[in-house]
Amino acid sequence: MKLQRDVYIAGVGETTFGKHKMDYDELGRLAAFQAIKASNIEKPGMIGSAYVGNAHNGIVTGQTIFKDIGICGTAPIINVESACSAGAMAVHLAIKDVACGLTELSMGVGAENHTLRRKSGTAFMPAMNDIEAVHGGVMTGKYAMRATRYMYETGATIEDLALISQKNRRHATHNPHASFRGEYSIEEIINSRMVAYPLTLHQCCGVVDGAGAVVVCSRDMIKKLGIQKPVKIRGSVVTSGPYHNRPRDITGDDITEMTSSMLYEESGIGPKEVDILELHDAFTIAELLYYECMQLCEKGEGLKFLRDGQATYGGQCVVSPRGGMLSYGHPIGASGAAQIAANVKQLRGECNGYQVEPIPRVAMSHVTGGGLSGTEHAACTMHMITRDW
Amino acid sequence: MAEKKKSEKEPDITFYHPDLLEVPKNGLPYLKGYKCKKCGQLDFPKLTPCPTCWGEEFEMVPLSRRGTLYSFSDLYIGQPGLKTPYICGYIDLPENIRIFAMLKGEVNTFKCDEEVELTTGPIRMNADGLPITSYMFEKV
Repeated sequence: MKLQRDVYIAGVGETTFGKHKMDYDELGRLAAFQAIKASNIEKPGMIGSAYVGNAHNGIVTGQTIFKDIGICGTAPIINVESACSAGAMAVHLAIKDVACGLTELSMGVGAENHTLRRKSGTAFMPAMNDIEAVHGGVMTGKYAMRATRYMYETGATIEDLALISQKNRRHATHNPHASFRGEYSIEEIINSRMVAYPLTLHQCCGVVDGAGAVVVCSRDMIKKLGIQKPVKIRGSVVTSGPYHNRPRDITGDDITEMTSSMLYEESGIGPKEVDILELHDAFTIAELLYYECMQLCEKGEGLKFLRDGQATYGGQCVVSPRGGMLSYGHPIGASGAAQIAANVKQLRGECNGYQVEPIPRVAMSHVTGGGLSGTEHAACTMHMITRDW
Repeated sequence: MAEKKKSEKEPDITFYHPDLLEVPKNGLPYLKGYKCKKCGQLDFPKLTPCPTCWGEEFEMVPLSRRGTLYSFSDLYIGQPGLKTPYICGYIDLPENIRIFAMLKGEVNTFKCDEEVELTTGPIRMNADGLPITSYMFEKV
């Protein structure tokens, strides 16, 4: 999508991620109101449109979130579902409204509560009209097969995969929004309960609840609001996963390769210029493969990139500086919006205790969605944002 | 006043799926590929229309019974209602088709790139509590 005019992020919000007694609507409202206040919006009526990402929590989720804070009746509220990509897709649609001049100010929210509804001890899966789901397909298995093949082809070990969990949770040590944080030993990670060989429990994102929200607006509006640290949208890309039931290389990911290439072209920012990156590290193997898919390093050099410290502080690109999904957990409709919220706070230098230094200028985020058969993922959404002050 | 006919629940399926799998009485089971009569593309499962050219007529082609196990996973936490552990994998057939299927065998025994063969077996229970038979693969 080529942006028709400049779009900025005015303010963001995120809840803590974890097991919440609050349902999705309360979480969504908390994040949304934080973003509204951070954007210096003083009363209802200024928001031109709102999009809300959610996957599992029911109908009219967006209106349920917004009705108590005076937004219902003053703006169209549109609900967005694409499994894990929903929250980022909601932000994309808000950007589109501003970029096209339909609104001066819009917002995208992602909110999800899994734990109030979901039985523990079972895996996420595609819908039962999917031929792989009928035959036992689950998301953990899909990623585990990638890991099995990657290990077979490269000689990587489970210990290597565990380095990703260790790094991300270390990044999250002082991040109050993350559920799993601090120092985990490799032994602890690889000896945790086996979920889907070779993925152990601590290599899988937790099933938690949370929400994120992003307010976007035009250049005129960002001045009118008096935002001191505007963050500019440099690119926002949504794709759908190519369908084919042929043999293909699952140590790559066609949709992530395609989406990141489109984002680099749209933003004019190359992979080596990205300072921080939040990606879809739902399982350890994913982050490792995505270094290569997003061209942070050459094909086949993901493990070297990790071991050389290129994905952490002082490296080429700090990957998962908030701790990623491996630390936050992954309320699937919320994560995409929460990633963008976390990136904005990093660019603004607001991450006390987990701030990347020197303060980054370029931040990228990536979230895929859905385990549809015949595709690597049903959807992929990516954003590139930069400091603009 | 006519008495309302009590609606009878139809029994759930016990075989998945006659368009995809054939189990001859006196022969070995095979998967059914579908070749588009317009563009010649061979697909499994059956896609109507053909996603490449939107052709709507197909010729059924029996697929090879043996293929290569591209990758697999031993699943210890699975779908609600499925007994664990179970094993899933991608099988690449010589016809340039990849099949996702359950594997019959023991955990910790499969390897990438080994040869596997089509078989049948129960993949899950249906709504009436009876097993549903479908395609599976096992070591040759």
